[in-house]
Amino acid sequence: MAEPVIQFDRVCKSFDGHPVLRDFSLDLERGEFLTVIGRSGCGKTTALRLVNGLIAADSGRVLVKGRDVAQTDPVALRRGIGYTIQNVGLFPHMTVEKNIAYVPSLSKSPLWKGEERSRRAAELLQTVGLEPGLAGRYPRELSGGQRQRVGIARALAAQPDVLLMDEPFGAVDEITRRQLQDELLRLHQERGITILFVTHDIEEALKLGTRVLVMEEGRPTQFGPPSALLSNPATPFVAQLVRRSRDFAPRQ
Amino acid sequence: MELIQAIFALYRERGGWFLGLLWDHFLLSGQAILLSGSIGLLLGIFIAQRPRLAPAVMGVCNVLYTIPAISLLGILIPFTGIGNKTAVIALTIYGVMPMVRNTYVGLTTLDPDILEAAAGMGSTAMQTLLRVKLPMAAGVILAGVRNMVVMTVSVAGIASFVGAGGLGVSIYRGITIYDPAMTAAGSILIASLAVLLDFILGRVEKHFKKYGS
Repeated sequence: MAEPVIQFDRVCKSFDGHPVLRDFSLDLERGEFLTVIGRSGCGKTTALRLVNGLIAADSGRVLVKGRDVAQTDPVALRRGIGYTIQNVGLFPHMTVEKNIAYVPSLSKSPLWKGEERSRRAAELLQTVGLEPGLAGRYPRELSGGQRQRVGIARALAAQPDVLLMDEPFGAVDEITRRQLQDELLRLHQERGITILFVTHDIEEALKLGTRVLVMEEGRPTQFGPPSALLSNPATPFVAQLVRRSRDFAPRQ
Repeated sequence: MELIQAIFALYRERGGWFLGLLWDHFLLSGQAILLSGSIGLLLGIFIAQRPRLAPAVMGVCNVLYTIPAISLLGILIPFTGIGNKTAVIALTIYGVMPMVRNTYVGLTTLDPDILEAAAGMGSTAMQTLLRVKLPMAAGVILAGVRNMVVMTVSVAGIASFVGAGGLGVSIYRGITIYDPAMTAAGSILIASLAVLLDFILGRVEKHFKKYGS
């Protein structure tokens, strides 16, 4: 069996004495699309931020491609991992093109010099379903959905094989969100990258994940393919989650 | 009316002298502006990276800022003597406060999501500072520069009390020989210089604000 790309090994993490992750273990295979779902404060974002070393585990280990995150230079580690967050965090003083080229420019990549930069940025814009003509715009001139797409293009620029996404579509409207989900599914299939995707929307979790992890109070309660969650919910909480996704309850 | 006529008469008769004073004034305040600009910027960056030191550093800057200018000049004379050096030191001490304050505020009120993204993508602390934080804070920092420049140019007017050059010379002479026109003539030139620099810096600030947030 191939080595897992991301591995949590009995990880514990608390903030101010309040445990957020308890004895958390998880293996993520290459090319998987894992969606993590749970209530606010269940530790899903914490788990994600442990992978690129934005926070450190209290005990246990997090391994990325077999290397312990605690022993790795965080800067080098993060440049090899794409990262997108809910509010995108595009740099307002840079054009779309410069935003996309940010990570390659940090490592002074020779592949992203002058003309090459414009060509590659245009290519990435097309990959995420945007007009290459947007390259010269500033983030404030874009719509919410466009910003999300630029955020994904920026995360893909250094050609990472792992992508961490923290509720990336949380702040866009329903229709745009569906489009973005479809684009992301396509990207995942085309590029074969491993994606760790945190969400609080069960529909999104079931639609995108090759496997879904449900978390409750810092512990995984169910981990399996989306169909298993629907056919065989492990706890009342999971049952409640998936039931909600099937029924609409229109106001009378 | 008589005063205005007298002022213009002075400018006509002693144009060269006033121009020389204006140039001296420009150089004197320019030195202080460069010094307090760089010291204040570095100090502001330093305390923004180490927030625990911020209250102490800001406190000291505030206290120095509240000392009346003329008294600060007087206090410095025993240590640095009279002349331009003392004036430049006093003006620099004054100018540091607005620079530190604005640099600190500019750097510590940035959108945390953007900083999270910058860190998460693998920027070093220096890269985050130079490529993200400072460009984004540039508008606020420039507002501090503008404030400091105008203040330094006007406070430099009293530097002649410790034997420094600049337009303060004409103000001081006007007072001692009881010639209000001469005092006013110097003051008008100081105000014009301040307004001109403020206008130029306002333009620069506007440019950076546009792209800063």
